[in-house]
This record gives sequence, C-alpha cells and structure tokens, in this order.
Amino acid sequence: MKVVVDQGKCVGAGQCVLAADDVFDQNDDDGLVALLDASPPPERLADVQHAAAVCPASAIVVEDS
Amino acid sequence: MSTTTERLQLPFTRPNVLELAPLYEVLRREAPIAPVTTPAGDPAWLVTRFEEVRLLLGDKRFGRSHPEPEKASRISTAAVQDGPTGEYATEEADHVRMRRLLTPAFSAKRMRMLGDNMEELVDGYLDRLVAEHESTGVVDLHRGLAFPLPVAMICRLLGVPEEDNEKFASLSERMAGTQIGEDAHKAREEFFRYMVGLVEGKRGQLGEDVISDLVRAQAEDPSFNYEEMVRLCVGLLFAGHETTVNRIGLGVLFLLTDRSRWEALVADPDGRVDAVVEEVMRLGAPGDLGLLRYAREDVDIAGVTIQAGDAVVLSINAANRDVEVYSEAEEFNPDRPERTHLGFGHGAHFCIGASLARTELRVVFAALARRLPSMRLAKDLDQLEVRATLTGGVSELPVTWRSA
Repeated sequence: MKVVVDQGKCVGAGQCVLAADDVFDQNDDDGLVALLDASPPPERLADVQHAAAVCPASAIVVEDS
Repeated sequence: MSTTTERLQLPFTRPNVLELAPLYEVLRREAPIAPVTTPAGDPAWLVTRFEEVRLLLGDKRFGRSHPEPEKASRISTAAVQDGPTGEYATEEADHVRMRRLLTPAFSAKRMRMLGDNMEELVDGYLDRLVAEHESTGVVDLHRGLAFPLPVAMICRLLGVPEEDNEKFASLSERMAGTQIGEDAHKAREEFFRYMVGLVEGKRGQLGEDVISDLVRAQAEDPSFNYEEMVRLCVGLLFAGHETTVNRIGLGVLFLLTDRSRWEALVADPDGRVDAVVEEVMRLGAPGDLGLLRYAREDVDIAGVTIQAGDAVVLSINAANRDVEVYSEAEEFNPDRPERTHLGFGHGAHFCIGASLARTELRVVFAALARRLPSMRLAKDLDQLEVRATLTGGVSELPVTWRSA
C-alpha cells in the first residue's frame, strides 16, 4: 500500500490522525498533515482508507497494491 | 424561476428535540435541492441529501460572502449564520490565513493531551453533582456538567477568564436567539465590545493562548484587519462552548430515552464511547436550519440551477439521516457499519474544534457511564425546555439515580 498526502489541500482537521495515528500526524507549526509512514503494512489498509474517506479536503490518496 | 409548485417555509416543525420533521425525508427523495422561504422571509435553496450537501460543502463555487451583502437573502433574525460574512474579493485567502493561524492550537494531538486534564475536571463536576443529589434527589446535568466543561476548556485555550462565563454565555444565547428580533444583533455588538476589552487588556502581557496568538498575528500583518480579528475571537468563544454544551445535552437524551442504549455503554464505557460519540454527532440535530452558503457563480445541480448570489441552506441534520447512505438511518446505532457523517461539516470550513469536541464528548460520556450507571431522566423528553436559538438544544437536563 502506498499513501500520498497533499499539504496544499489539507485543512488541518486532524481526522486522519484519529483514524490512524501510526500513519498520519499533524505538524506542530502549521497543523497540516505529516505522513509518518508512506507504505504502511497491509493490515492497516482499512484504517488508512477510512482516513482518506473522512478527510474533509480529500487530501489523502491510497494506492492499494 | 422554479418548476416546483410552492416554496416551503422554514423552519419545519419537528416532533421533538431528537427527531426531525418528516418532510425532510420527502424532500431528500423528491426535491433534494428545494426552493424555500427562510425564517427571515427571503428566498433560498434547501439542500437535504447527503450527496449534494457534502458536494456543496467542498465546492469552491460556494462561499460565505456575497458581492452585494445588502441584497443577499437573510436566513434568520439571529446574529449568527444569518447572512453573508467576510469580503467577497478576498474570502478564500482570508480563510486560508485564519485556518493556518488556528489549526496548530486545535490539532488532534494537542487536544488528546488535554484529555487527562478534562477527566479531572469532569470528576470534580460529578463529585459535586453526587453530593447535591444526596440532598435533592434530582440534579441538573446541564448546569452541573454540560455547560461548565466546554466553557472551562475553551476559556483555557483562548485565554478568557472563566469567571466571565455568565456574561459571555448570556451574550451567546442572545446572539443566537431566533425570536428576539434586533436584540440578537445588539448582543453581537456587546460581545464585540467585551472582546475588544479582553484583547486590549492582554496586549501588554500576551501569553500562550489563542487570543494572544491572534493579537500577535494581527499586529504583524497589515492585511489582517483589527475588526476581523476581534470577530474571529468572538466566533471562537461562541462556537467553542455553545455547540458542545448542546451536543452533550442531545447525547444524554439519546442515551437515556432508550434504556438499552445506555446499558450498552455502561457495560463497556471505554470500548464503546468512541462509537457512541460518532453516533451522537451524526444523529444529534441542533437547530432547524443548516449551514449557509452563497453561490459565487451559476451552478446546475440535481435538476435545478442555483444562480450566482443565491443563498443555500445545507441541512446537515437531513444529510446525516439519508437512507441512501445509512442503513436504518433514523435509528441510534453506534455499531452501524457506516463510519462517516457530516456532523462537523466537510471541506475547507470543516469544524476547527472537531478534535476538541470529540475529546470532550468522549470524556463526558465515558465518565457518566462509569460513575452514574443507574442515571435516568427525571422529566419526560417533551417536558424539557428547548432553547429558542439557532443551535437549539435543551436548557435543562434533570436526572436522578435514586432507586425508584
């Protein structure tokens, strides 16, 4: 699985951090998304996809390989 | 104009504070974007289906400002979400700047760090309620818990003296008042003056709080207008307590009006509270209107043409009960497979306080279930006083845990 985030779209809602805090974080200085793990293990797929689905800015793309 | 036969008049009468008017179900099916007359008497579009509400919330062709604000449709006589706000030409840039300024202070991680602090606060409120219950047998959860917790938290975050709570709570109540005419706007002016006093009092001794951050940012940025900064502070203090106070109330009512819901949470507070909070966010339906937007250009959608300048009321309440999205949509079911909702909005204006609210709600409902498992309502749902404000909710939550 490959995860891509778009900081330009991010509105800093923090929804992804709640969904998968081992994959996503928010920067301390601007609150925007920080990707902790760009290729999480397959068992994290459901939560990562949930993070992408609930992102209010559609700033997360998940490629399931 | 429209092919629909008649304009419906908002608001639609609802059976009680937990249920919606049955008309929403009809509209979602037959006219998901319907022409309506607002409570203020002006034309607007009412959007009721999940798909379109979500789409329009994320669509930059809709904003909160209007090129000719004095000609824009008004929504209500309240002084919140009543008409256009902000500068039409610079709206997006202004909003991005505001968001950048505020987001770090409300991040999920920071809010989670406040959790322990909140638990202590809530334990203190519950200790007091338990002591009071020993002599009275009935206590008001609104006054003793739902109100003080969000107030204490937002005061700390913003750097507002907690002892001012009666003042800003009463200003908030009037500002959101839907049945007091011009007084709502007077309250907004008073709130503005109160905030100017607070801001100027802080200026010499800025601290580690959000209002201090905004004062610093405004002083350094010539394009950041002083009035806009004060309005933002008012907005944060208003939205930072009012909404969560209401949501705690609605959640308690959902849980206590059907014993099986409450018992399920009591059986496993820590395991179930997150799902309960999300379901309270989905089904809780404060107020009778929705989020307000104005079209920035003509938009064809769902069989209608929304013209540039038209007002659009996005019914979060109706969208969150859309049968096309949720199975048994009207049922309170924390175990439902659908995990998303629009309770915090969507798109660029997604609630900046969502992580704060979630943390507060989780702490409150877990603590209630742990400490007061035999709690029940001391009055029928229909007897509870509903507030005549834009955000609705109840002004009392009498409960008891006396053996019957």
